[in-house]
Amino acid sequence: MIKQYPGYEQYEVANIEDYGYKEHRLTKKIFKVFRAIVIIFAVFLMYIPIFTIFLQSINSSTITSEFGQITFKWYANIFDKGSLLTAIRNTVFISIWATLISTVLGTLFAIGISTLERKAKRHIMLLNNIPLLNADIVSGIGLMLIFSSLIHIFPYFFGWRTMLLAHIFFTLPYVVLSVLPKLRELDPNLFEASLDLGVKPYPSLYKVIIPAIKAGIFSGMILAFTMSFDDFVISYYTTGNGFDNLSIWIYSSMGRKSLSPSVYAFSTLVTILFFILLIITNLLRGRKQHHENH
Amino acid sequence: MNKYFKKLAIPYFVWLYVLAIIPFVIMVILSFVNNEGLNFSKAIFTLDNFGYLTTSSTVIAFMNSLFYAVIATLTCIVIGYMVAYAIFRSHFKNKFLVMTILILPMWSNMLLRIVALKNIMEPHNIITDILSKLGIHVSLDIAGTPLAVIIGLISTYIPFMILSIYTALEKIDYSLEEAALDLGLTETKKFWKVIFPLSTKGIVSGSIMVFLPCMSGFAIPEILGQGNILLIGNVIDQHFRNMNYNLGSLLAVVILIIILGAIFLVSKFDKEGETLL
Repeated sequence: MIKQYPGYEQYEVANIEDYGYKEHRLTKKIFKVFRAIVIIFAVFLMYIPIFTIFLQSINSSTITSEFGQITFKWYANIFDKGSLLTAIRNTVFISIWATLISTVLGTLFAIGISTLERKAKRHIMLLNNIPLLNADIVSGIGLMLIFSSLIHIFPYFFGWRTMLLAHIFFTLPYVVLSVLPKLRELDPNLFEASLDLGVKPYPSLYKVIIPAIKAGIFSGMILAFTMSFDDFVISYYTTGNGFDNLSIWIYSSMGRKSLSPSVYAFSTLVTILFFILLIITNLLRGRKQHHENH
Repeated sequence: MNKYFKKLAIPYFVWLYVLAIIPFVIMVILSFVNNEGLNFSKAIFTLDNFGYLTTSSTVIAFMNSLFYAVIATLTCIVIGYMVAYAIFRSHFKNKFLVMTILILPMWSNMLLRIVALKNIMEPHNIITDILSKLGIHVSLDIAGTPLAVIIGLISTYIPFMILSIYTALEKIDYSLEEAALDLGLTETKKFWKVIFPLSTKGIVSGSIMVFLPCMSGFAIPEILGQGNILLIGNVIDQHFRNMNYNLGSLLAVVILIIILGAIFLVSKFDKEGETLL
């Protein structure tokens, strides 16, 4: 490559390619286009179901394959339809109680686990991974078998009690796993100091340790709630006596081909609610960081 | 803090043994006997159940499960890595928010999303109806095909892959990248020699989170496959619905063994056993 510079002789300007470096401009360009397509495809794949749910929720026709007019009657009907309303109420009841119980217990268990020796800790963490990694169908069947063998002792056990226990079972590991890393970061002297200052161990747990790990507790709680709110398979195997949560209700009304469009309306509302909550928490966190910086 | 709170972990040991280990023992026992439901009084020890494992329908269901799960996981790795890396490299001020908005669909009911996917995979559906009113005539008929099941699996589980790869990428120390560039690596080489090896942990945990539910789930193949495609989850579900606990348990035990293999793999990668979050 030869370039002409004013006032100079002709110089051979060395190019980076002359040193054996290849720019691969074309390959990079092709890859860039390919990547953009893949990303758009991924977003499309994730969003097309909820976009369809949204379309169905404003569709006046009850036939899923045609679009009548835009209507909001399904939104008004959410709370009219008896069985859907019961299912929603059951879902909320189970997920709130399961979240609260597993957050409290999970935090206490995590504190206990953090004090164990290496070997015992490894042992319990391995056990803790079982509900997380186990196939839902295997967990569900396992819990059903355990609950069924207790049925002679508690005859009316199946129903909300078994479902709640099952939900606590699979949400606890999430809380434990979210809290443990925060406990590891905790300064051990903090607790010793509070004891030296005359606070008893358990009040100190409440006053010193819990506030220091509350971020972990909170994220565990969110995880537990989302897992519980959306669960189908484990609930399906552990419920009884006609106690349906939303997923079971959808599954069984799909089998009867009688899925009410109100459920699409409800799902759209939940998505919008999650979106708003997400934005609000982000704004609040941004403001808090802003305060801390000043 | 050690001496005071040690006993807090004991109830959790008991809880996990009762609800996670004992069911496994019951399932193993059930797969070695022949009885009705959970009534063990007439139970006879038998190895006949194991013959069932080699029947063609079971083998096909297992092969299907592995095939669909492997395809879905590999696709999720490729797509998920690209998406996670693009967000990681993007110049958004609040990448976490972008990330959460991206995976927002994860928070609406999974079954309903599958039903919605099934609806738009029919030849006549709400979207083609709207488009035809606008004068565009398209038709897509993939409901009940293997492609429909694979699309459903990817659409449902890819957020987990994106999230875990992104978390792994976030943890990479930026000074390592600077060092790589200072030492004369090109951008591409830096990616393959520094960033990619450091993010394999995310790929492993993401793959497990995608592979296991893909392999064992029964709702997605049932709804999107419309009964044409049986995975092992469907077979287990059918057995338990027909009160055939013995064969159902046997298959569940086989699945559990595969999963234990996966747990072993995780513990090889991470000694503390906290990879998953």
